[in-house]
Amino acid sequence: MLTVAGLAKRHALASRPLFSDLALTIAAGEIVALVGESGIGKSTLLNCIAGLETPDSGSIRIGPQALDIVRLDEAARAVLRAHRIGFVFQAFHVLPTLSVAQNIAVPLLLCGVPLAEHAPRTQALLERVGLAGFADRWPASLSGGELQRVAIARALVHRPALILADEPTGNLDPRTADEVLALLLDRVREPRASALIVTHSQQVAQCCDRIVTLTADGLR
Amino acid sequence: MKTLAWWLIRAQFRTRRAATLLSMLAIALGVALGYAIHLINAAALADFARAMQTVQGDPDAVIAARDSAGSVALASINDIARDPAVMVIAPVIETRVRVDQARLLVRLIGIDVFSAAAVMPRLLPRHSERALTGSIFDGGVYASPALRDKLGLQDGAPVTLRRGDQQWSTRIAGDLPAAGADDLLLVADIAWVQEHFGPDDAVSEGRVRLSPDTDPARWRATLTPQLPAGLLLRAADDDNARVSNLSRAYRVNLNVLALVALLTGAFLVFATQLTAVAQRSTQFALLGVLGLSPRMRLLQVLLEGLAIGVPGALLGLGLGYALALAFTQLLGGDLGGGYFATSAPLLVPQPLPALAFLALGCGASLAGACYPAYLNRMQPLAQALKTGFAQRPGAARAPHTRLWLPSLLALAALALTQLPPLFELPLAGYAAIALVLVIGISCAPVVTQYVFGYLARPGLPAPQQIALQNVAQAPLMAQVAASGLIVSFALTASMVIMVSSFRVAVDHWLDAVLPAPLYLRSKATPLPQELLQALLRPDAPFARIERTAHASLTIDPQRPNVALMVREIERGNPGARLPFTGAVMTPPSDDLVVVWISEPLHEIYGIQPGQTLRLPLLGGAVEVFVGGVWRDYSRQFGALVISRDDYLRLGGDFQPTDLALWPLPADAAGEAAGAWLAPYTSRYALELADAAEIRQLSLSIFDKSFAVTYALEAAAMLIGLFGLAVTLAASVWLRAGELATLGALGFSRRMLSRAVMLEGALIAAVGLLIGLACGIAIAAVLTQVVNPQAFHWRMPLDVPWSAVVFGALATLAAAVVASHYAARQATRLPVAQVLASAQ
Amino acid sequence: MRRRIFLATPLLLPTQLLAAAAAAAASPSSLVYPPVVPGVRLVFPRDHGAHPNFRTEWWYVTGALQTSPSGSADIGFQLTFFRSRPGTAEALHSPLAASQMLFAHAALTLPGDRLQHAERAARANLGASFSSLDCDVAIGAWRIYRQDTRSGELLHLQVHSPQFSYDFTLTPSQPLLLQGDGGYSRKGHGPQLASYYVSWPQLQVAGTLVRDGRRQVVSGRAWFDHEWSTALLGDNAVGWDWLGINLFDGGAVMAFRMRDAAGETLYAHATWRDAAGHLRQFASAAVSFAPLRRWVSPRNGASYPVELEIRFGEYRLRTRPLLDDQELSTRRPTPVVYWEGLVTVEGSFSGRGYLEMTGYAGRLRVADHGAGVGAA
Repeated sequence: MLTVAGLAKRHALASRPLFSDLALTIAAGEIVALVGESGIGKSTLLNCIAGLETPDSGSIRIGPQALDIVRLDEAARAVLRAHRIGFVFQAFHVLPTLSVAQNIAVPLLLCGVPLAEHAPRTQALLERVGLAGFADRWPASLSGGELQRVAIARALVHRPALILADEPTGNLDPRTADEVLALLLDRVREPRASALIVTHSQQVAQCCDRIVTLTADGLR
Repeated sequence: MKTLAWWLIRAQFRTRRAATLLSMLAIALGVALGYAIHLINAAALADFARAMQTVQGDPDAVIAARDSAGSVALASINDIARDPAVMVIAPVIETRVRVDQARLLVRLIGIDVFSAAAVMPRLLPRHSERALTGSIFDGGVYASPALRDKLGLQDGAPVTLRRGDQQWSTRIAGDLPAAGADDLLLVADIAWVQEHFGPDDAVSEGRVRLSPDTDPARWRATLTPQLPAGLLLRAADDDNARVSNLSRAYRVNLNVLALVALLTGAFLVFATQLTAVAQRSTQFALLGVLGLSPRMRLLQVLLEGLAIGVPGALLGLGLGYALALAFTQLLGGDLGGGYFATSAPLLVPQPLPALAFLALGCGASLAGACYPAYLNRMQPLAQALKTGFAQRPGAARAPHTRLWLPSLLALAALALTQLPPLFELPLAGYAAIALVLVIGISCAPVVTQYVFGYLARPGLPAPQQIALQNVAQAPLMAQVAASGLIVSFALTASMVIMVSSFRVAVDHWLDAVLPAPLYLRSKATPLPQELLQALLRPDAPFARIERTAHASLTIDPQRPNVALMVREIERGNPGARLPFTGAVMTPPSDDLVVVWISEPLHEIYGIQPGQTLRLPLLGGAVEVFVGGVWRDYSRQFGALVISRDDYLRLGGDFQPTDLALWPLPADAAGEAAGAWLAPYTSRYALELADAAEIRQLSLSIFDKSFAVTYALEAAAMLIGLFGLAVTLAASVWLRAGELATLGALGFSRRMLSRAVMLEGALIAAVGLLIGLACGIAIAAVLTQVVNPQAFHWRMPLDVPWSAVVFGALATLAAAVVASHYAARQATRLPVAQVLASAQ
Repeated sequence: MRRRIFLATPLLLPTQLLAAAAAAAASPSSLVYPPVVPGVRLVFPRDHGAHPNFRTEWWYVTGALQTSPSGSADIGFQLTFFRSRPGTAEALHSPLAASQMLFAHAALTLPGDRLQHAERAARANLGASFSSLDCDVAIGAWRIYRQDTRSGELLHLQVHSPQFSYDFTLTPSQPLLLQGDGGYSRKGHGPQLASYYVSWPQLQVAGTLVRDGRRQVVSGRAWFDHEWSTALLGDNAVGWDWLGINLFDGGAVMAFRMRDAAGETLYAHATWRDAAGHLRQFASAAVSFAPLRRWVSPRNGASYPVELEIRFGEYRLRTRPLLDDQELSTRRPTPVVYWEGLVTVEGSFSGRGYLEMTGYAGRLRVADHGAGVGAA
């Protein structure tokens, strides 16, 4: 589902390499935890996979067509992201000016899903993330756990092949974090999507199928 | 994708209601002003053209004298009538008369119904059953409905028509059913008009209808060289061009002012959209991460600009129509410019101009949204998602490298002011003004960085330190906040300076052209002989009397007539009566006739002092010497003065219309003089005014004609201030995290508020400083380039420092008040929440 | 004869002014026109010129044209100038005073086509002029004038209109024909109903005709009338029939009758001059007009006897129109509908000339005439 090969990236300001010759493969339906020290380049790796940053060399192939996102231009990367990738962020990033249902429907709009399908699909997902009845609420009135549930629903609504999550429980209290993590893993496994979860939490990492560690010498 | 765009626009409008509404209003204001000016002017021109169509009909050519005192000999009319290409030639004799004792001067048109039917059907009279005369051939006059109403004229009623000493006692024989609602006209048979008012064996003009198989242009070209020297052959198009030329420069000037309002509106859209982009950079970054294409991130901002522009422009059209309606009711069709003396014209909106103004409004808001859209497109997604808006994606440049652009633009602006007018309009001058504004705005970041970087030295209290640092570090936001103010203050200051310079110049000029204490005039008709004789008697209580006769000449049929003034002026010392702009030249020979031309005449026709030219005078072409150029602010289309002696020498008939009177020294107040003149003024409806009255009236007309300008300036200033407030408020939100951190570190709300207000005041101060510099530069362009090219008069630049400085201080105070609004936003920040949501 | 339509109507104004014009004609005027009396010896060329003291006057040329020397007569033409002195503005000194007005009509009959017509009007000294010394009358570029040349005298005709233009030279082949008693021609039973009437038959036409932008050289034969009067039409008359024919044998016939409302003849007269110059006049009782065939105008339903039998003394003639539809509608000076066109005659003589029939399309505006006559 995701094949990273020979990936190298230099530090943005310094000339020293951040990482070089990285290789990573995630099979369909596999959930992988990415751990490592702060500043080691976990987020940069995630950004490269999402096509938000361009590596100095190497290839990143995503999805059944195995398109190399490194070779795509900015517009094509956006299309690939819209169709194949779902995101969950530490800071939730729920748009404050859109209602909960609208937030969840944004990926559907970006994928060009007919409007008639939106309501049933967002409704179904809201129920699955335990937010039935929240459709017309505004983000400002939601708690952190609820916001992250909205973000999870948004990440899954367009049935992406790959979920990228960056510290998804980092901003939540321990109890909520457990709930949200369980929910995320369940909902990812359900459609047999793959996931790469960046985390500092051993507890989170333990719940995944596999753990890879990014060190200065590469992936382990 | 459309749905998403629509969601975002709606969200934007909901969360930034005030800023969006203000931008919309600014666009609406610009469109409204431009559209109102267009509507009023189109209506006034149409009205004027229609009135002329009534009187003149639709001839293929008009043969007329070049000299208003001249006429077309009957022989010339009959010669042209015999041309096989001529179907009909309709002669008219036109004059102005007073009806009974009414003060109103009315056009009396003598027509020949045989030919008028073919060329000027709207002038055909309808004979009344109650008329006591048999038909139009038996005498009797026909009055237009408007005139009948105004003077209460009844069919069959006896009336006496007077022109100077000449008079005709006749009866109202009917009306003019096809005359317009505003036309004040009398029509009579041409022979009866000639019998009582002249000219002998001649007519005023002949209007020609050609055979349909004749090419009118070629016919005119063939005939023109064969015409006697004093006559000209003009096309109906010429008249339209003349009407249009009459108010063209004034109109363009007003439209440029409307464009200024639109420009300010565009700046406000720029400010709103830039802050909107900055505010939502995280949101846009998220959407980008989720898969919104870069193109869509660009388009979304443009679309939002359009979403402001379209309703704004539509509102502007409605507002413009209402404004036009109100203005025409209050000021008439010329916005106080004094070009068309008609009542309120009918406004008829046409679809095409409305669309054009709609497009202009949308274009302005699109232009304002362009740079923000570009910035939004260029935001690095991952970084923006984390740390928010990047002011300058790409490498930062040092301030000095950005100085070359303003310097280059300044050179270009200077070059533009040296260019001659294009299409007889000071287009290059206007372009130079636009460039000055661009220079001012592009200078803003550099000046801001230098000034504030210098000021923000250590040792200041914390709030001041923070404010200064903030401005110096974020020049783009400062530029945005200041740009609206720079533009609006520059334009306002320039207008104030220009109008003040003009007013001072007019004031001086009035001193020079009003040497006598008393003035008497009879409008367009000659003064009565009875009065002129009486003035020569020793008992007349005057130390000195100078007589003037007014007439006009057609030099170019496509331009308005040039005024001709025959004055009792000393050939050897014209400087005693005329305010010359340069040296007065004496003719090489005493036999040569001398004329002194006005500045507009010199500018429009390129006539130089010291040259000789052939002037269409008294039915012939007369060789005259141009003795000098004098300043004239009242006759925009040119005037020339000839001495009475020269005029008589040419065989002219001196019929004075104006008198300049010096009462005897014992009668300084002019009371005895007024009493002596009273019987004449009442009997002949003459106007008597003293110099002070005329001066006051002239200046009040001057002020009235700039009334619209003042309104526009006020609007521009208001928009500029709104822009400042909106931008400051936005920048407060943008720095919410920073301010919240400061709050958490122990800054009180009052200190935060002070810092924001200080920031506003400092930005406003920079904006006003730059604006003032630009304003003076623009005023110089206006007085030295635009006015001479558009109106053909010059004036020295005279900066009213006290007014300008007062205006700047008032604006600064207003800016502080406006930034108070932004400061309140700062104090309302929910510190804890902001800190919690910040990373 | 036909020109008496214009006697009545002094003014050519646009319709809205007509009521006033009529009123003017009806109101008692202090102006006294000179009477038409017998025994005045006419002197030429002076009497070819205008007689501005009289109320009305016209110069009238009709004829038939060929476009090729061998062709038959296929085009009819007519040009008339009227001078009217309506009694208005008589007290004015201005040269523009509307005391003398001129009207002109020109018509062209093209076989197989409708009749074409153009008209002009102007006051004297303002686009129009006339001479009192010789025949020279003009409105703008339209003109009829006489010229003496080494080979004899000529008449010139010039017309320019958007529809057609022509420029003809008319060469007399015979002397003038003074109608009635040496030019004194009675028009009714009262002594005051009369005119001075001079005809000039059998004029040779040469010149150019332009229509639809096409210039043609034409030749033909024409008839010239010059008539001036103050009063012509009696109270009961509603119209008249008139004809002037150039006979193929070189002779000339003129005949007219005045009709009343019942269509009965009020007064009639005929003149015949043979090729040798012998002149015979036929008094009212010896002249009769009888309709043979009528043509009904599709525009207004008027029924014109386009084929007439005319008897005078022992002679009779029968008319045949070149074109049935030679009905004319003029706007100036007043809207009048009448029939005027080219006919050929057969019978005791054969020839070609013009027939004019008025008062068939409703009653003519001749009511105004009565007043004119009364004033005279």
